[in-house]
Amino acid sequence: MSLLDAQTLSKLKGVKVRARAVVEGVLSGLHKSPHQGQSVEFAEHKEYAPGDELKHLDWKAYGKFDKFYVKRFEHETNLRAVMVVDTSGSMGYGSGALTKLDVAKVLAATISHLLVRQQDAAGVSLVSGGTIREIPPRAAATHLNVVLDALENAEASGSTDLVTVADQLADKLPRRALVCLFSDFFDDRADALKRLLSLRARKHDVAVFQVVDPAELTFPFDDPTLFLSLEDERRIEVNPREIKQSYLEEFNAFLAATKAACTAADVDYEQVRTDEPLDQVVLRFLSRRAGGGRP
Amino acid sequence: MLLGMLGALIPVLVHLFDRRRPRQVPFAAISFVLRSQRRTASRLRLKRLILYTLRTLLLLAVPLALAKPEWADSALVKTARGAAATVIVVDTSLSMRWRDGSSLFEEARKQARAAAQELMPEEPAALLSCGASVSSMAPLNFDRARLISSLSELKASYELADLNRCLDQAAAAMNESPLANRRIVLISAFTQGALRLESPPPISTGPKGEKIKPEVVLRDVTGGKGLPNRALVDVRAEPAPQVGPRAWQFTWTVRNFSESEARDVELVLKVDGEIVSKGFVDLAPHGTAQKVMTYQFTKGGSMLVEGQLTPDALPEDDTRALVLAVPKELKALIINGSPSTQKFRDEAFFVDAALASTGSPVRAVVRDADAAWREDFGGYDVVLLLNVTAPAAEVAAKLVSFVQNGGGLFVSMGDRVEPDAYNAMLGPVLPRRLRVMKTAVEPTAADAATRAARLQNVTATHPVWVPFTGRAREGLLSTRFYRYMLFESDASQDVEVIGVIDDGAPAFLTARKGRGRVFAFASSVNREWCDAPIRTAFLPMIQRVAGWLSGTLDEHEQTRARVGELVTLPLEQGQVPTALKDPSGTELAMTRAADGTSVSGGPLAQPGRFSLVMTNGQTVPFAATLDPAASDTTRHGQDELAAWFGEDVVKTAGFGGPSQKTPLWTWLLVLAVMLFFFEGTLLRR
Repeated sequence: MSLLDAQTLSKLKGVKVRARAVVEGVLSGLHKSPHQGQSVEFAEHKEYAPGDELKHLDWKAYGKFDKFYVKRFEHETNLRAVMVVDTSGSMGYGSGALTKLDVAKVLAATISHLLVRQQDAAGVSLVSGGTIREIPPRAAATHLNVVLDALENAEASGSTDLVTVADQLADKLPRRALVCLFSDFFDDRADALKRLLSLRARKHDVAVFQVVDPAELTFPFDDPTLFLSLEDERRIEVNPREIKQSYLEEFNAFLAATKAACTAADVDYEQVRTDEPLDQVVLRFLSRRAGGGRP
Repeated sequence: MLLGMLGALIPVLVHLFDRRRPRQVPFAAISFVLRSQRRTASRLRLKRLILYTLRTLLLLAVPLALAKPEWADSALVKTARGAAATVIVVDTSLSMRWRDGSSLFEEARKQARAAAQELMPEEPAALLSCGASVSSMAPLNFDRARLISSLSELKASYELADLNRCLDQAAAAMNESPLANRRIVLISAFTQGALRLESPPPISTGPKGEKIKPEVVLRDVTGGKGLPNRALVDVRAEPAPQVGPRAWQFTWTVRNFSESEARDVELVLKVDGEIVSKGFVDLAPHGTAQKVMTYQFTKGGSMLVEGQLTPDALPEDDTRALVLAVPKELKALIINGSPSTQKFRDEAFFVDAALASTGSPVRAVVRDADAAWREDFGGYDVVLLLNVTAPAAEVAAKLVSFVQNGGGLFVSMGDRVEPDAYNAMLGPVLPRRLRVMKTAVEPTAADAATRAARLQNVTATHPVWVPFTGRAREGLLSTRFYRYMLFESDASQDVEVIGVIDDGAPAFLTARKGRGRVFAFASSVNREWCDAPIRTAFLPMIQRVAGWLSGTLDEHEQTRARVGELVTLPLEQGQVPTALKDPSGTELAMTRAADGTSVSGGPLAQPGRFSLVMTNGQTVPFAATLDPAASDTTRHGQDELAAWFGEDVVKTAGFGGPSQKTPLWTWLLVLAVMLFFFEGTLLRR
């Protein structure tokens, strides 16, 4: 059992401390990781001028044109990453030690911490009911505290409106960025996820962290129960034993559809249970990214 | 019981009034709950409906099953054409006491009532209670109320009813009826012992003398089922001297009257109501087993001995009783008239050995004459004078008084017995006066064995000689007599010669003197005058003589009395019976024989301990037992009965016979279990 399971993390106060603990777990797990850091992409050639790095001379071009050309790259700055955290009411649900929002915040803080540590820029967008509270990405070490404070203060409220969030993010991210989405994706609209995943078409690197609670996966209720919505006034009285089978079918179909949509859109998908060790989640994510060449 | 069916309202009431507050749970994935609820709504409604139905049926089925309903097949009911003279015959056999909850006889009463109520008003009818013997019967009449009320007076007996005789009696009772139609309603368990199919079926005679086969309506009170029964059908009681004094061996015979075997059936032995021994028997289907039990009584007297099986549906025949007269311990004074240091010459040696042997109820002391005359004879039951010189007048008077007051006196002869002195001193208690000694042959003669006198005959019916049959009797009769005393002839009725020598001289004489008894042996009890002491018959003879002299031997003979029969009990001289009482203390009618030797009474209506009370307060107990045939509950098949009575006259249901009832409650219980199973399955889904 990991030291960073939900029970242990719940005893640590605040996102900063929790993220720090997870970061340390991740770093100790990275010793054997093939992670090589970020990569940059070739953009154009430039005729050599005194003062240019000789190591960037393109010797093949010299062979062809008998002139010295130097390679130039598209991003010479570090990676820009945005942690998009869903803070709608449904994310406030937790049957165990941590709520879904707690988990999302720790994961976002951990990844931000790791990025800043390697001089990449990290920002955060807290979304709820179609509004976004944004902290732009920056690489400064002091910026990390701003990000973490924003996460610390985030509370679950309002409805889930992924469509509006997707539109606003598309406008606010003019340059290519790593977009990490932390949400349960409980949006009843059919095209909500599709719109969100369209960020990938805009050359953004998108990673989806679908946070689910064990109670949502197993539906462990027996006696007649009045279920109350966390986002609106909906309520329903049912005998859970009677609908359990049907519920599980619906919920599993939803999870499968979300994963399938992410895969189709070439988006990294990670299902996160609120009761599993979060350092393992991050390591899994980083390993997959390293294998796929990103970030 | 059917009030329990109101329980069927429980599911509806629970549905209407159960308004428990559900637990409130905030839940993020409520959209999926809503979707699932919409998806399953119609299916759930159907499931709830089925559940309500199942629970209602379940709660209906249980009280219905407990009410034990039966389905009567009315298709078999056939009614007679026109009015018919009717006799309702009710079997009162022991087998009708068979019970499974209520007794068959109670069912017979119900069926008799139903049969009477189904009669048409113009049909004359009568009721016949059918037992072992002929019973009176009211003439056919139209008073239905009286007929029905007389049903309550019917009682089941402890005997085997004679249904053939009752059917004939019923058929004859209808001879006088002007109606051409005749009907017999037979209500019975139809056991094979009660109805013998080798006899002809009943025939009635019509107004013109024509023979009419009456319509026979068979009402089977068993509902068509078998009547498993086991019974104690016999017991044999024998002394078991090898075990010890007053030890008896009881051999119980147990029969199984059912198709299935019975294992480890408990049999207990009770003495005067207390369990003294237990055993177990295994019984094959329709098999018989014997169980031997031994018990050593701690005291003498009349004992009620009972065997008792674990009670079954017919417990009356699971108990069998007998009254046993256990010999009391007798004290005997042996007066040795010719003591000798050589045992075979000692006058008392053989008698003392016989009375001291294992199993003997006698405790004897031996005294020589001088010492004996100083004894108080009142402390003994029996005094034996063995070749004793005639006592002085004072002692002789004590002896006479002893006998007159109920003591037993045995006198044997020898060379010290002077006839004149004996006649003078002991004449009042001698059976006959002594005359002279006769010598058949000198014992020392070479041909003594062949020339010796022998017994010609003994009175086999006398209690002393009862066991001497066959080879034992031959052994007794071959006793050789060399010398013996001759007695004066005497016509007194009080004296009985129970054994004579081949020359006609009495060898054994008995007499009652006052309240006492005297037994005289014409020869000696050592080997000087005869070889009787070395005969195998000598030991039991001496023991039985001692028993007879003390009056206990007569009690050994058990009185065998059977329920339903008259009992005859022997009376001793001077005994006058005042009452014959049954086990409940009710006095029965009795008749004393003209010669006063016996009394008969009865018939004995029930098994158990009866008693004959005498004027002097003495009670003679005896036990009445059941006829083993009455315990046989093997039944005739319906087809057999129909074939015997004639298919054309037998009716089998409703008025015309026993309705074919199918028990529904077992099926209802099965249904309830299935409903419970389905309900559980539905709940789990």
